[in-house]
Amino acid sequence: MSSFSRSAQQWATFARSWFLIDARMQPPGKIATMCAIRLQGKHKPIYHAMSDCGDHIVVMNSKQIAFSGNKWEQKVYSSHTGYPGGFKQLTAAQMHHKDPKAIMKLSVYGMLPKNLHRRTMMQRLHIFPDDELPDDILANLTEELPQPREIPKQLSEFTQEEIDAFPRLWTPPENYKMK
Amino acid sequence: MAARSMLRSVWSSFAGLKLGATGSNVIFQQGTNVPQLSAVTIQSRGLRQVVEKQEGNTTIIEGHILNSPEAPEPPNPEAKCPIYRWNLQNKYNYTDVLLLSQFIRPDGGLLPRSITGLCLEEHRKIAICVQMAHRAGLLPDHKPKLPANHISKPKQQLNRYLTCWSIDSVKPIFKTGLKWCKRRMAVGSPLLKYNVRYGVKHINIKH
Repeated sequence: MSSFSRSAQQWATFARSWFLIDARMQPPGKIATMCAIRLQGKHKPIYHAMSDCGDHIVVMNSKQIAFSGNKWEQKVYSSHTGYPGGFKQLTAAQMHHKDPKAIMKLSVYGMLPKNLHRRTMMQRLHIFPDDELPDDILANLTEELPQPREIPKQLSEFTQEEIDAFPRLWTPPENYKMK
Repeated sequence: MAARSMLRSVWSSFAGLKLGATGSNVIFQQGTNVPQLSAVTIQSRGLRQVVEKQEGNTTIIEGHILNSPEAPEPPNPEAKCPIYRWNLQNKYNYTDVLLLSQFIRPDGGLLPRSITGLCLEEHRKIAICVQMAHRAGLLPDHKPKLPANHISKPKQQLNRYLTCWSIDSVKPIFKTGLKWCKRRMAVGSPLLKYNVRYGVKHINIKH
């Protein structure tokens, strides 16, 4: 901004900001892409892989993420402890029950570049299962990012006028009694 | 005893009333309920509304025909299927609950095709959209009635959307396979592949 002084402009360019994302009813993959872009610093014109320009991201309500399709039952997270017979496979539902933050963490981890910077970037990602955030993080937040998916309205959330405004598509026959 | 005989006389006078367009007794039997001696309106789920009034010693049980409000003229009145009549053919989705709720019963089931007048493809599309809406939790008041002593097991509350398959029927994909032969997870239904999309990308059914 032309109205800023030189030092203020310098500070605004190179400061590390804190973003907030509400993951309620959102697919974890879409949230993870937004997180990965900002953790690397790719949303900034001053990006360089070597200059540590990533920002902090706080993801809240990770307990209420929504998978499309039947992924809660079909998606399997596999890991091996390194010991013989240590191959563990958990479905997304089991994983979420065990740890509500794990799915979000794993999806962001897989989207970051596979180098040594990944660990530091993951340290800058803060995931909370509920919407209760500690005070020091709340004080740091600068911007809330819009949710990637539009949450559809339930039938009970429509007002009576909206329901009446929608025309009846078909009329039941004279003698029909609905059971 | 006296009350019962009095009610019987009321019923016989009621039988002579002409109800709506057809004057037969058959319809009034359909909408009747067991008469109770209270001034409570007994509404039937169909097109008849049975109203009881108590005036002194006499109980008057009347059946009013609920006039379904005349819908505005559909854009394409000659078509047989209601969706084609309103030109909504490839334009609805599982989120359009106002549309889908017109074809379901109060406990969530679909109405038969012979009653609604839908053509077979649209009936199937509506069926799958209603299933997806139920699984996404968009129809919270259309759950089936459970008996009073039913104890539900504590289930994990998982948010989902576009689930085409039933939750219990799906098995985890332990071996996904290599990229060229990957076992994909289905999202949404191929019945809705012709839906209007205002973007460049095709809908991705296989994730």
